[in-house]
Amino acid sequence: MGSVFWLSLRQLGGRWRMALVLLLAVLPVGLSLLFHFLGGGEEADKRDYINFMLEGLFVGGIMPISMMALSTAAFGNEIEDGTLVYLVLKPISRWKIALHKLLASVAIGGPLLVISGVIVTMVGLNASFQPALAVGVSLFAGAAAYAAIFTWAGLMSRFAIAIALIYVFFWEGLVSSLITGIEYFSVRSYTLALMHGMDESTFEELSERVIELPAAIIGTAAVILISFLLTVRRLRRMDAS
Amino acid sequence: MSALETISTQPVIDVRGLSKWFGNVVALNDVTLSVNPGVTGLLGPNGAGKTTLLNLMSGLSKPSDGEVIVLGEPVRDNYELYRRIGVLTANEAVYPFYTGRQFVEFAAKFYDLPSPADAVDLAIQRVGLSDVQHRNLGAYSRGMRQRMRLASTLVHDPQVLIMDEPLSGTDPQQRVEFQDLIQQLAEEGKTILISSHILEEVEVIAERILLMMSGKLAAAGNYRAIRAKLDERAYQVRIVTDAPRLMAAALVKTDAVESVSIESDDEIVVLSRNVTAFMKSVPKLAQEQQIRLTRVEPLDDSLESIFSYIVER
Repeated sequence: MGSVFWLSLRQLGGRWRMALVLLLAVLPVGLSLLFHFLGGGEEADKRDYINFMLEGLFVGGIMPISMMALSTAAFGNEIEDGTLVYLVLKPISRWKIALHKLLASVAIGGPLLVISGVIVTMVGLNASFQPALAVGVSLFAGAAAYAAIFTWAGLMSRFAIAIALIYVFFWEGLVSSLITGIEYFSVRSYTLALMHGMDESTFEELSERVIELPAAIIGTAAVILISFLLTVRRLRRMDAS
Repeated sequence: MSALETISTQPVIDVRGLSKWFGNVVALNDVTLSVNPGVTGLLGPNGAGKTTLLNLMSGLSKPSDGEVIVLGEPVRDNYELYRRIGVLTANEAVYPFYTGRQFVEFAAKFYDLPSPADAVDLAIQRVGLSDVQHRNLGAYSRGMRQRMRLASTLVHDPQVLIMDEPLSGTDPQQRVEFQDLIQQLAEEGKTILISSHILEEVEVIAERILLMMSGKLAAAGNYRAIRAKLDERAYQVRIVTDAPRLMAAALVKTDAVESVSIESDDEIVVLSRNVTAFMKSVPKLAQEQQIRLTRVEPLDDSLESIFSYIVER
């Protein structure tokens, strides 16, 4: 049933949405080049770079916003314009529809974020293969987790973007920094922990703030699986008219 | 209602005690009906519950109570059943980036058809859009878009067709073609349920009708039997004339007229229970009495008034 996947790619690849996602992917690359030419490379600069560029800007902002723009629209747009009926009136299981929608938003957002993240890492940290791989893998996993959550949110509410923003900036940004233990329920935290776990020496700076690697792996997998199951459940129970 | 109901042993669509409510609003209230092969019209004014009923029959909505059986199987959560059902919803949205043909091809991909390209060709040909099939859907008129949507509904040659207001947006010529197509499909043995809020749209093609009113089934049965009941109802007709008193005096003597009221210096309102005889008598009386008629028009020929009449009976 690749038809749903290709349809979703076309739906999500709309001009303005793609322009926004591309802009978000290019922005950190431009900043990293600026950083590089302004004379980065000292140990203190490297720490700032990880804190600001990778943790703050990329993982804390660019990645969730990009995936929010894509994934909330995976079902949200079809519900809004009424075209979802063309899918749900076909002889195809709901889990397949949900899976292809999820894969489509990951297929667009994931590679863009990974490429951007790897370039940012290579340029800013004068990095070799290991840290670039750590950034690429962790960003892809984070993008998939956000995609799963926001795809479900897009199916649940017309205000999915508002819900997503609250989750990213209030829950992950504010609450998790104030209350101990919340970081175990945060995609941002999983992403940073994966990054750190795959290359502890380069990302040593993060060691005091990240959760354990196994917890991050389990957390990421659980978020993807639970969000996906909730999406399927919602698709089966909702009135699709 | 039972006197009008046609008896069927194995209905293609079997609706049993179906209700749907949204919060405190009851959209559909304990509806039981059946639909058999041929064309069945689902009539009712806006807000009567037609779309709610069709959505439940299509499995798009979950009933609050009751059940819908289509081709012997529950329709809700039964995705394989869509191989044998075609649904044309009232929402006219389409994927704007597809051409007409791509839209039908997209639908065809889900049915494991032996020859999808031939099926697409046939479906587009049946709706008469072969010459514009490569045009983008966004460039279609509303009527053309509606027909291409029908082509995508027909592409897998479904046994049952459920269509919500399919004639909306079509011009008179397209409407006639559409009605011909529906009749052809019915002759092929398909079961077709078609909704409308306009009596004239449905009366041409449906031999049986279901009348909805305020979320309930008001009447169901043979179209002609219901039509006969409609003909018995009291019609109000307004006549604008230069001699209202003379016309009123002449009309009141005829059997077809129940009462006449003089509304103004040039207008009377007539109440008749035999509208056919009444309409024949009006020009004849005017000619005999040398009365000039400026306008003769029904006052309550809306579907709402017809339904009110049937429900009150």
